[in-house]
Amino acid sequence: MISEKAGVSPSELTNIAPSMPESLHSTISLPEEPLIKIRPSRPWSLIDLRDVWSHRELFALLVWRDLKGRYKQTILGAMWVILQPLLMTLVFTIFLGKLVRVQTGTTPYPLFLYAGLLPWTFFSNAVSSGSYSLLASSQMITKVYLPRLIIPAAAVTVRLSDFLVASVVLIILMRYYGIPLSWQILLLPALVLELTLLALALSALLSALNVKFRDTGTALPVMLQVWMFASPIVYPRDLVPARWEWAYQINPLTGMIEGFRSAFLGLPINRQGLALSWLITTALLVFSMFVFRRLEDEFADIV
Amino acid sequence: MKPIVSVRDISKLYHVGRAQSERPSLRQAVTSAVKSPFARLNGRSSDDTIWALKDISFEAMPGEVIGIIGRNGAGKSTLLRVLARITKPSRGEIDIYGRLGTLLEIGTGFHPDLTGRENIFVNGTILGMKVKEIKRKFDEIVAFSEIERFLETPVKHYSSGMYLRLAFSIAAHFEPEVLLMDEIIAVGDINFQEKCFAKMRAVSREGRTIFLVSHNLGSIQSLCKRVLLLRSGRLCEEQDAEKVIALYVNDKEPEETGVKI
Repeated sequence: MISEKAGVSPSELTNIAPSMPESLHSTISLPEEPLIKIRPSRPWSLIDLRDVWSHRELFALLVWRDLKGRYKQTILGAMWVILQPLLMTLVFTIFLGKLVRVQTGTTPYPLFLYAGLLPWTFFSNAVSSGSYSLLASSQMITKVYLPRLIIPAAAVTVRLSDFLVASVVLIILMRYYGIPLSWQILLLPALVLELTLLALALSALLSALNVKFRDTGTALPVMLQVWMFASPIVYPRDLVPARWEWAYQINPLTGMIEGFRSAFLGLPINRQGLALSWLITTALLVFSMFVFRRLEDEFADIV
Repeated sequence: MKPIVSVRDISKLYHVGRAQSERPSLRQAVTSAVKSPFARLNGRSSDDTIWALKDISFEAMPGEVIGIIGRNGAGKSTLLRVLARITKPSRGEIDIYGRLGTLLEIGTGFHPDLTGRENIFVNGTILGMKVKEIKRKFDEIVAFSEIERFLETPVKHYSSGMYLRLAFSIAAHFEPEVLLMDEIIAVGDINFQEKCFAKMRAVSREGRTIFLVSHNLGSIQSLCKRVLLLRSGRLCEEQDAEKVIALYVNDKEPEETGVKI
């Protein structure tokens, strides 16, 4: 049984094996405290954020690898990033803008629409690729240690580049329709941060569930589709009957989508809506971090 | 001298049986929770459990090269994975007084569309090196791997030999205080193998500690002074390489996997 690989003959051995040095003199001074402490897992503990932070270079490299790899494979490359929201804008402009004649006040419908589809496209792509990220990296997870959270985080961050490229198109559209940028564009970084955190929360949660329950991924596209129409993306919020108002209040995307429109198009800002969406996003993020931490210890055993 | 790795009473329990035969789905989890809400409280009585590792304790000094041997399923890889923090132990504690490197596989995270140069950075960082460190050792890594001419070629066009040489070369230039390796030293032709052995000896002379899991008793014998023999998840012998290897070779016990309970 052991003979299968014990195939180095004695003559070979003498060639490659001079005797080991008799005294092992250490040139390494050991620290007082262990650098690494391995302990059995405690079910509901916090994510070790210091450990995540110490792996920031790896995070950056993973983002860089995926960005580079992605644009090397496709001919159109960055074009797809622009085409996706543009084509959707075209389709909805024809059906909802021209046929149904959705009223969007002084803002032209295509502009109103693109300003909503822009953050939505980022969000839905980020959550889709984020929730598969752990499965896609199963080889890495089972062969080397890294704080697993950086895997969905990197997947979400990669999509952020799409958002930046597609934003430029919005600026061009705004010039075409003659709508100037206002000081409210300064709100953009905070909105992008919030949307990224929400995408991270869902990606972490779903990617962890996806490792354990493979049909999570199957359910996701339907969920996202419903979520898109349940948020004021292709229509303004004032079309929604009052009795559904509560559903829009608890949907963190509502405040954000409207926030993005205000920031780009200079529309009035709904402070209460923004505050509420921050609150819900933060709560979701904390919850998903706990669930992720709880499931993380099993990843390598079940993936 | 203080040990650099201290392992105290490590055990690892695996649940096998139903859980492994079919993958649980979200739908099943929900329906079974509705059907029998108290099943969880009764524990996992329906599952089979296996101690992949049971009460393992040992210490390693700086500069030691320690071989880990045993039959298939004896727990060698599990021990390495626990040491590497890939999976957590069910019980016990481990303290490591230094940086830890894991080579359970070479070329982890290689992206086929990226060039050799780009993959050196990706793989090096995944192994645990700093970008600054990789930049410093870059020329050495390339020279060792003998792929200078193909540095700007995507690795998907590499021959398997070139791929392995590049991957091993990156790994060989990673210099943590504690290195965990799993049977990957038999890479490439005999010349390249010799180079790898020499590299590992140099690493241990610098006072670094290496754990080596292998079925290749030849390489274990030539590199390790001390060998741990695992049998059914237990550490059953731990002393001079030659004695333990002899014991293992003469071991006529029937093969079994884990400790059934």
